[in-house]
Amino acid sequence: MLGGYISDLEKGDVFKSVEYVVTPFMCSEYAHGTEETSEYFHSARNPAGRQMRPPTMIHVDKMRILEENCDKEKRIAGMKGPDARIHYEYHAKHHSAAYVGEKVVVTGHIVDKYVKRGRPYLWYYLEVSTSDGRLVTTYNDLTVLRYKVDGA
Amino acid sequence: MSDKPSFNVGDELIGPVRPVTPQRIEWYDSAMLSAATNELRQVGSNIHTDEEFARSEGFLAANADGMIMTNWCSEMLIRAFGLHYLEGGELRTKYIKPVYLGVPLSVRGRIKEATKQGNGSTMYAIDVWCEDGQGVKLVDGDAKVTVAGE
Repeated sequence: MLGGYISDLEKGDVFKSVEYVVTPFMCSEYAHGTEETSEYFHSARNPAGRQMRPPTMIHVDKMRILEENCDKEKRIAGMKGPDARIHYEYHAKHHSAAYVGEKVVVTGHIVDKYVKRGRPYLWYYLEVSTSDGRLVTTYNDLTVLRYKVDGA
Repeated sequence: MSDKPSFNVGDELIGPVRPVTPQRIEWYDSAMLSAATNELRQVGSNIHTDEEFARSEGFLAANADGMIMTNWCSEMLIRAFGLHYLEGGELRTKYIKPVYLGVPLSVRGRIKEATKQGNGSTMYAIDVWCEDGQGVKLVDGDAKVTVAGE
């Protein structure tokens, strides 16, 4: 169910998309936060000739789309849900790079939701494309919605 | 790095060797918020930054956001493959054990397959992982990168 907590999301839910323009600050700051010094993300002085969005920023895109679709748990705004979640699996395929100045569109849906060994899992599928339709990243993400196991 | 990086099956990739520190956790979480909002932000309390909250959620202690290690794996692949990875690669990481503060992490990779394609390119399949000081894997994964031919 969209509009609630992240843990309310269900298999088949289709996210309302989000759009934003990639800025130099976003790319550089994200790279800086992981000690990534490659010039690809900090300026245009690199073999691509343009400052690039780190491909791992798909994780930020996941936060953006959750913020837009889960009104009771806007994490960027500082809201918390009923349980702490943990990221379990990241799987990104890079189809092209996105560059500073480009507008990108993030779309996605919930592939599955299931319980394994007492823990609820949520499987997201996201796509990032440029606003003119070039596919940038496809992404599968598995998140444990509650680490604590009941009765454990 | 060469424009056409070349590896053999069994070749090892060596990534960063870094302990997980409270500062590194704060750097990542704050950077994630800053990138999401396009302004400088500071992370608040969560299972990565707050020991007491982490324990209340079933963890032994505060632990690192898995994306820190994914980014370190990605860094290793950028160093090895450059644009070939950035424009057409693939990375999968699975956080198989919590990574607690102070753990010295080594990021590693090994070329598993190197397959010549019909168009002259080479597709590399790579095992990727992060291990602690005792060689125990805490993050496991794999990657694929195609290096175009001449």
